[in-house]
Formats: sequence, structure tokens, C-alpha cells
Amino acid sequence: MNPKGGILSMNPKGQILTKQRLQGAGLDLALPYLMLAPAVLVVLCVLVYPFWDGLRASVQAYRYGTAVGWAGLDNYVRLWSDDQFLNALWVSIRFVFLAVAIETVLGFALALFCLREFKGIRLLRTVLIIPMVITPVVVAILFRLIYASDAGMITALSVAIGGGQVQILGDPVNAFIGLVVLDVWEWTPLMFLILLAGLQSLPQEPFEAARVDGAGAWRSFVDLTLPMMRPVLAIAIVLRTIDAFGTFDQVFVLTRGGPGEATKLVSIYGYDTAFKFQQTGYASAMFVTVGLIVLAMALTAVRLLQKEAQE
Amino acid sequence: MNSRLARASVTSFIVFIVLVPIYWLVSTSLKSNKEITQEGTLYPHVPTFDNYLRLFSEKNFGAYLTNSLVVTTVSVSIALVLGTLGAYAMARFRLPFLLERKIGLLLLTLRIVPPVVILIPVYLLMLRLGLLDQWLGLIITYTAFNVTFCVWMMESFFREIPVDLEEAAMVDGDSRFGAFRRVTLPLAAPGIAATAIFAVIVTFNEFMFALALTATPKAMTMPRGTATLIGRIDTDWASMAAAGVIGALPIVVFALLVQRHLVRGLTMGAVK
Repeated sequence: MNPKGGILSMNPKGQILTKQRLQGAGLDLALPYLMLAPAVLVVLCVLVYPFWDGLRASVQAYRYGTAVGWAGLDNYVRLWSDDQFLNALWVSIRFVFLAVAIETVLGFALALFCLREFKGIRLLRTVLIIPMVITPVVVAILFRLIYASDAGMITALSVAIGGGQVQILGDPVNAFIGLVVLDVWEWTPLMFLILLAGLQSLPQEPFEAARVDGAGAWRSFVDLTLPMMRPVLAIAIVLRTIDAFGTFDQVFVLTRGGPGEATKLVSIYGYDTAFKFQQTGYASAMFVTVGLIVLAMALTAVRLLQKEAQE
Repeated sequence: MNSRLARASVTSFIVFIVLVPIYWLVSTSLKSNKEITQEGTLYPHVPTFDNYLRLFSEKNFGAYLTNSLVVTTVSVSIALVLGTLGAYAMARFRLPFLLERKIGLLLLTLRIVPPVVILIPVYLLMLRLGLLDQWLGLIITYTAFNVTFCVWMMESFFREIPVDLEEAAMVDGDSRFGAFRRVTLPLAAPGIAATAIFAVIVTFNEFMFALALTATPKAMTMPRGTATLIGRIDTDWASMAAAGVIGALPIVVFALLVQRHLVRGLTMGAVK
């Protein structure tokens, strides 16, 4: 057979060699393209074309949902003097930073804790699947039912011990914290699963050597675990950050951005701009900008993932 | 002994934190609105299933459920076929100009960028095609998103299947596609199942596009329908809780049954 790499991994030059040997060799040449075409076509029409369309919309002026003329970069310039947009961006950044930081620390601690097999770990893993797979809209309902000042669990508990109504979604600071708590509840399990898998795949020898040398648990955590876990931590944090930036469903149902603008993330503000205020061009510019920010993060993530996948 | 006690208490604490909100949802769904807002009980004193019945008799939840099932099944099935074919080509062939690498990068990038970025243009596209508030509009959109995911997942599964088996089949006179269909595809079945499971969960749960692309019970999916219960002024807590249970139940049961296959999808293949 082909000594250089087998029939299946050959390059176009090698194909002449094996052509006669295989049935339907002519069709085989076109096969990769035939197999790829439908998937690529769907993606080009439904995802890539809209990307391009969004770019085009972002340089046009719209009135009542129809394009009325060329606006150049006006929409983009306007973004940076729009207090509501800047506020939304700031809320998003604070939300993403806080939520991801807490999730990483909690998830990592939990993963370290679960590293050694013990009874009950299977129960724990099963239970931790639930928050991740529940419909995000329902997660928001869960937390509305906890926070609501009249029907909420916190109020019910406070009444049970003799207190009064507790305001959470009506108070700007509490509502924001409430949103972060929701995200932590929903996504810490993901951090936990990624980091646990990472910890389990670390080689054992360095740790044994450290123990022989008399290093304590803390020393070997700082000197061995942390540096070796860096790539996995990076992947987990980047993936989660990008995801958190796109958070929409939970806020839409929990607070719709309120009270005031305390929880109005960029996604919510952009949605309102497009669908409530019908400023399609301006909203497009906003999403293109956010898209670029996230794309930069995404490319980092893609590199990391591809490196990981090839190993 | 001491560390075992610590483990047990931490485990119970976490299980408690996860389950308390769920307990409260189920418990609220079994109360009447009067009991919820006026009495503030910690468990349903007079349990009732009225809230559930009302969802189906007055609030169109039968239609939402049907829409969700149709849209999810159709879009995941199409995406699986297209994605598996594409993934196989990307895993096995070297194309000129590293084409397969570039396509892979494009799909993965599209997969990772938050979908909210193309919400407006997709809405405008469906508006132009006259597909707003129809199954087809949602199906097309979800199929495209699922294709990006299926290709990425299936490619890594195909890479784990040794090439020798196909080569043997081809030496025995099978065509390239025949070898794929008869040898590789059956071996990839667990991977296809894992991919399908994850795609079903994500598609069933999707809200944002359903919000923008549908407007009536004709096409509204479960999450979209549930959101209609949230009023500006007074909220029907009992119905909302019942809707939450109905919306989450199928997916949670489904996920727990197949949990072993889930982790890879949730972590975008970073964890095997």
C-alpha cells in the first residue's frame, strides 16, 4: 500500500497512485466537497450572510424599521456619547467579572475537594448537572420566585421568623447581586466539571516527589497544581466569560434590565434599541461593536481549544 | 473520620443549595395564588393541580409544547445529518489551501460568538422571507446553529476512530462513501448520540431567537410561551411556577438519563 500515509490521509498528488485501485474513484475525488457543501451552505446563508447584513445595517440610518439612507460611521460615533450604552457596557463588564471570578474560585475549590473519590460524589455530580440544563428562562423564574417581595421565598422566610417583606428586585444594588447569584448558581457546576477533569488528568509523579521532599499541601498547590492547571483554567475562564457576555434570557425574565438600569446588560439594551425603539441601524452598530470585543476573546478561546483538541 | 464528616457536610450543603430553588418552584406550583401572596406558606397547605390544568386549558401550553417538539426534532435531525457528513470530511480529508482547517475555524468562531450579535439581521432575513411566526423560520435558524456545533463535536469523535478500519473496507472493494457508511458511521454512533443529546437540550431551551421570531401560539416555543406569563403589573405566580416545572421537567429528566454523554458537549469538547 501507500507507505507514506495510507490511502485515507493522502494529499491530492498521492491520489493518482491509488485511483485505479478504488471503486468509484472519480466520485471519491469530489466526495469531501459533496460532504462539506450542505453544512457550509446552511451556515453561509443563515449565519455568515446575516453577519454581513448586520455590518451593512450598522452604517445606515433607519426610521421605523426601514433603512432611509447612508449614515456612515455615525452610529458608531454615537455609541460613545450614549450614556445608556456606556452604562450597559459597564453593567455587563461588572456582571461578567464578578460572576466569572466567583464561579472560578468556587468551582476550583469544589473540584479540589472532589479530587479524591468518596461516597456521594456520584450524587453530587448528578445534582450539579441540573442547574446547567434547566431552561434559562425557568432559572430566571426560579430566582424570581425566591426574590419577589410578595411571593418570594426570602420574604416567606423573613415573615416566618417575624420580619417583614424583603426588597430585592426593587433595589438596584440587591437586584444586581441577585443576578450575579443566579449566574453563580447556574454556571459554577460547569466550572467545576471542567476543572475537575483538568485536575484528574494531571500527572501524579510531581506530587509524589514533592511529598517525599516534605512539601505541604499548600506548597504543592501553589508550586505544582496552579501552574499545571493554567491552560485548563484559561479555557474555562475564557469560555465562561464569552458566554456570560451574551447573557440575555435570565435578565429578560428576572428584571428586564431594571430597576432603572441596574441590571441592563448590553444584550438587553441592544434588544430594546432594535425591537422596542426600532433603531435598527444603531442597534446593529452596538452589536457589531460588542461582537468585535467578544470575537477577540473568542479567537483566543478557539486557539486554546484547537490546541487542546489536537493533543 | 473527621475528613469524612467534612466531605459529607459539604456535599449535603451543595445538594441543598441546588435543590432549594427547585423545591420552591415545585411547591409554589402546587399552591393557589391566594396562598402564595397572602399567606406566604413554606409548603403547600392545600395542594392543587389547578395551575397545571389552567396552563393547558387557558394558556395554550399544549400548542407551545407541540411547537417546541416539532422545531427541536426537525432542526436537530437535519443538523445531525449535515454536521456528520461535514465533520467526516473535515476529519479525514486534506483539501487544497487547508480549506478544511479554515472551515473548521469559521464554524468554531461562529459557535463561540454570542448569538445575540446576529439577532437583528436574522430577524430582518426572516421578515423578508415571510417566515416570522412560523415553524420554518425557527427551524432554519436552529439548524444553522446546530450545524456549527455538530461539525465541531463529530469531528473530534471521528478523529478517535482509527483510519485502518476504513482502509480495510476499501481494500476489500468498498467505495469511500460505502466505507464511511458501513464501517465508520456505526462506530461513531455513541458520538452521534452525545451530540444529538446536547443539541436537543440547547435547542429546546433557546429563548432569544424565539422571542424575536415568533409572536403567537402558532409558533411560540415553551420558553417563549412561558415568558408571556410575566405581566408588567401583577404576576400570576402560580401559573408561572407551573409553567416553569412543565418547561424544565422534560429536559432535566432527559439530561439525567443521559448525563454521562453531557459533559463533553457542555464544555465544547474541552473535557472528554
